[in-house]
Amino acid sequence: MGSKKIWLIHAVLVFFSLLTLLPFVFTVNNVFRTNAEFYHTFFSVPNAFKQTLSIAGGALTGDDTPIEMADEEGLIRSLDKKQALRLSLTNATRGPRLAWKVIRPYMLNTLVVVSLTVIGVILLGSATAYILARYRFAGHRALFFFIISTMMFPGVLTLVPSFLLVKSLGLLNTYWAMVLPYIAAGQVFAIFVFKSYFDGLPEDLFESARIDGAGHLDIYWQIVLPLSKPILSVVAIMNILGTWNNFLWPFITNTEGKHHVVSSGLFVLSTTAHASNFSTLYAAYAISSIPLLVLFIYATKPFIRGVTSGAFKA
Amino acid sequence: MSIPHKYLPLIAFLLLSGWLLWPPVEETTNVGASTKHPEQAQYVIKFAAGWAYLPDTHPFGIGKPLQGLKNVIRDFEERFPDTRIEVLTVPGIREYLVTQLGSGEAPDILNVNVENVWTDVQKGWYVPLDPFLEQANPFVVEQGDATKPGYKQWWDMFRYQAISRGKAAPDGLNYCLTFDMVETGIYYNKTLFAKLGLAVPETWEEFIAVMEKIQAHRRDDGTETVPLLVNIGAFNDWTTDLFFDQLYYDLLPGIDLVQDPTREPYLDGYLDWDELAFLRQKDFFSGRDLRYREVWKKMRELKRYTNKNLMTDDLIREFVTQRGAMIWTASPMSYRLSGDKSLGFDWGVFYMPPFTRVTSPYASGQAMCVIGGAATQLEVSNSAIADTDPSLPMRERMAQSQRLKRVIEFLQFICLPENNAQIVNEYPALLPNIIGVETLPILQPFAEILDRRYTTTKWIFTFDLRFSEIQRRMLELYLTDGIDLDSFLHWQEQNIDAAVANMLKRKVPDMQRLEERWQALAPARAIMQDLPIEEPQL
Amino acid sequence: MSVRLQSPLSCYAIVLPSLVLLTTFVYLPVVWAFASSLYEFEIGADSHFVGLAHYGEYLGQDPTAFPSLANMLVLTLIAALMRMSFPLIIARLIYALPTERWRYIYRIVFLVPIVVPGVAVQLIWADMIYSDFGLLNELLRGVGLSHWTRGWLADPQTALASIALIGFPFVGGFEVLIYYAGFSSIPESVNEASALDGCTGLQKFFRIDIPMVLSQLKLILILTLIGGIQGFENIFILTRGGPGFETTVPGLWMYFNAFSFQRMGYACAIGVLLFAIIFGLTLLNMKYFKSSEDLQGVR
Repeated sequence: MGSKKIWLIHAVLVFFSLLTLLPFVFTVNNVFRTNAEFYHTFFSVPNAFKQTLSIAGGALTGDDTPIEMADEEGLIRSLDKKQALRLSLTNATRGPRLAWKVIRPYMLNTLVVVSLTVIGVILLGSATAYILARYRFAGHRALFFFIISTMMFPGVLTLVPSFLLVKSLGLLNTYWAMVLPYIAAGQVFAIFVFKSYFDGLPEDLFESARIDGAGHLDIYWQIVLPLSKPILSVVAIMNILGTWNNFLWPFITNTEGKHHVVSSGLFVLSTTAHASNFSTLYAAYAISSIPLLVLFIYATKPFIRGVTSGAFKA
Repeated sequence: MSIPHKYLPLIAFLLLSGWLLWPPVEETTNVGASTKHPEQAQYVIKFAAGWAYLPDTHPFGIGKPLQGLKNVIRDFEERFPDTRIEVLTVPGIREYLVTQLGSGEAPDILNVNVENVWTDVQKGWYVPLDPFLEQANPFVVEQGDATKPGYKQWWDMFRYQAISRGKAAPDGLNYCLTFDMVETGIYYNKTLFAKLGLAVPETWEEFIAVMEKIQAHRRDDGTETVPLLVNIGAFNDWTTDLFFDQLYYDLLPGIDLVQDPTREPYLDGYLDWDELAFLRQKDFFSGRDLRYREVWKKMRELKRYTNKNLMTDDLIREFVTQRGAMIWTASPMSYRLSGDKSLGFDWGVFYMPPFTRVTSPYASGQAMCVIGGAATQLEVSNSAIADTDPSLPMRERMAQSQRLKRVIEFLQFICLPENNAQIVNEYPALLPNIIGVETLPILQPFAEILDRRYTTTKWIFTFDLRFSEIQRRMLELYLTDGIDLDSFLHWQEQNIDAAVANMLKRKVPDMQRLEERWQALAPARAIMQDLPIEEPQL
Repeated sequence: MSVRLQSPLSCYAIVLPSLVLLTTFVYLPVVWAFASSLYEFEIGADSHFVGLAHYGEYLGQDPTAFPSLANMLVLTLIAALMRMSFPLIIARLIYALPTERWRYIYRIVFLVPIVVPGVAVQLIWADMIYSDFGLLNELLRGVGLSHWTRGWLADPQTALASIALIGFPFVGGFEVLIYYAGFSSIPESVNEASALDGCTGLQKFFRIDIPMVLSQLKLILILTLIGGIQGFENIFILTRGGPGFETTVPGLWMYFNAFSFQRMGYACAIGVLLFAIIFGLTLLNMKYFKSSEDLQGVR
């Protein structure tokens, strides 16, 4: 491929990257600006940065004069370089610190919910798909149809009755209120994907294991799971994404607010007093993006491998 | 097993996040000194206090974190060691509240506009407070001074009796405690006014003239200034009631059919939903009702001078950066402006000036009525009586519940002047409703406005949420030229009819009596002009 | 291929947990919803039977019915179109790069839109781009077109379009990854053969690449359609369906009726109607679906 073409491709990609990243760049910038700065201009280098840089620059040149700075209470104090530096850093990081204080319980909750959900979906999905794919028994087609047809039901339809159901089971304000319905719904797609993957496996694999006297559990643990590694990552990632972004259900079922996950927590944050403090709000957005970013950086390869493994041929 | 290089950052990240997440999650909403004896707390009372007093928050991002409510709660918990009060943040979204109440999971003490409560009172979701309000406040009694308000009746402790008592529901019971007051005002840029030679308007014509001048003005960089910053909520709620009151006031002798003995001394000439429903039958509030048309026409005229985007919440920014000359908002704005060190201009407040005969032939010439009123309205939800049998009637449950006792005691406690001042006057946002607690000086202008006459009716609080939701949406559309006046009025007629039909399902007013009163007031109406043509009564 | 006649008992035993969860949390609520759509039902109050009255009311008298269905259609179609075009092109371009390092970098860059939680993305767009002094208006003022500035989400003419365009340029990492996977699974032999035949560049793109990633395209289409028909959370956060009913969709109206106006039965009726639409689409899809299954041979 000619190098001119490569430059063209790069140009287009860079253009789109800029367009895509622009809102997020501004978001991160706003994390470090105070409300006053936010009100006065759309984009500006945060004062906290400028201040830190100027103090650090002054320190490097050996300038010893004390600096007048307003501290957290608003009083002007005279500080030496080290104290001034520390204060300006504190100012700069105020948004993220406050945001983390609020977000941390949400992160923990999300971790718990997501892990339980993904484990549940994978276990249940692969087990059920294995049975449906490799065994023919009375009613197996009907069963599959029964399971798959749940994909047709719009989530909104079940919102109200699920809420009432969860309430009558006494599960409101617990992790289970979120985990169980997610597993129930998420396993369907997993079953679909796993089944089409298992359908393509040769029977001799299982035959030989059975001859050796392996029961269902052994076959599952030692053959099925290891083989389905590529699919695992796809299912896991899609479930993580779905659970992470699902906002309405946690919002409704968490009447007490202790078990909010990141998505509903962010919404609550944006409607409460903290919302008047923009740096906290934007810092919350930024911080809540980090886990998925890390996940995807490491999970892209397995994901792609899974998607192309043949389970998605339509 | 050696770890591939590329996984090293991942491991570092996992370790870091483990460290960050590890310490036990403190409940950031738990306030009070009950950390001394947390296990002994027999009653854990959940208090949704509203954004204004939330401990450890910085309203508008300025100043020190709030401590007032925290301190009062601590004092209460010391007095009653078996109780712990948790302050919650609840999203101010109606749908959220409904799911909470329906599942019995709402906070024990809620802060919602009590009119939102009225549609749900027959479901047993709220505890009527009259039995307690009519008794003495025990904390005042134990102080021994018989002259202090509250010694005989808790009711006597409130300064704004009209507004507080006016919060009684249509069933005659009072479900809310009016904890503090708010009023709105038009904040204006004094510096700009001085520069353009403008004075504070005293009539509607002067107001329009001022806004014309501002709209014609161009700043140094050539950009325009928005004369008045208002959002759709203000149009839908405040403006509707203010304009309606201005244009219908003269009709009151002929249309105020029923005087409710409990509330009338305080709410002179108030129109309740049954009166509105009856008047609707007489073709009021329709496209043929000229005064009603006028209400919305005037609103459309006002819209010409306001910001184009009505849905925004962020008008403060435009005022602060001087892109808007005036902003119509509530009293906490004073705090926001006085705390902003980099403001750069002088500001003042005035109240909306009244209509004159020039504005409209129907104008009454009365000063614009009070549109503010109760701000923090505390209601007690069914969670407070959760320790009783749900199948019993409300009165029985109230008598039996121990938990309710504590909740009421807490409410009585925060009504004591010394405690109330710590909470309400911690920073200037809302005005205290307790006698003995003085309004902060910067909020004095608003206190004067609160002494004015109460409004004729509160439209969006009279009917259900569907009504106010639809009115707001259609109003947005009408004000932004999405539909014309006649289409809007057509929608409104249907909207009011639907809302009335809904109300009639719950409670059938005595139409016969209303008809009799209507006939009785006919002479008063004979001299009035431009009433909608009456439908013949068969 | 899968042929093992087995006693049903052990099979059902293993499948049991899935079934229990599915029945409890999916089927039970659905049946309840179908049933209660026939009642006038309010939380905390009595209910009484009204038969099919709700359906009649929604289709006949509710002024929001057809506008919201139209909105839903528009939003879904635009989303589907966007998600099948831009990410496809970008994925193809990334795939065309010679060095793995650059491909890796660009893939990470385009991940950013999906790692930010959906709620945050909506709020960021609303506060920073569509607000009165947000990016869009500031840009217009900067180039001297300040008479074009407006409240994008509040103006009846632009509200729906503004919502549809959130996420511009729609190059979300998820779709890019899926299409990229598709491209990378095109066998090298196909590429060589097309090069030999002199089919390159745009021609190759349209004649060969796209058909080979048809399954990925279909997956994204299905996901977008299902999401579009029932999705309303973003509208709820952004405009709550306003101004007027310009941005209302059936899902949102159902939510309001259930939780705000407290007409549960009516809300369930709307939900059942949405289900009917999805069901119809699924039937259509199955007709098309069946044929490609046949192509793969009998199982």
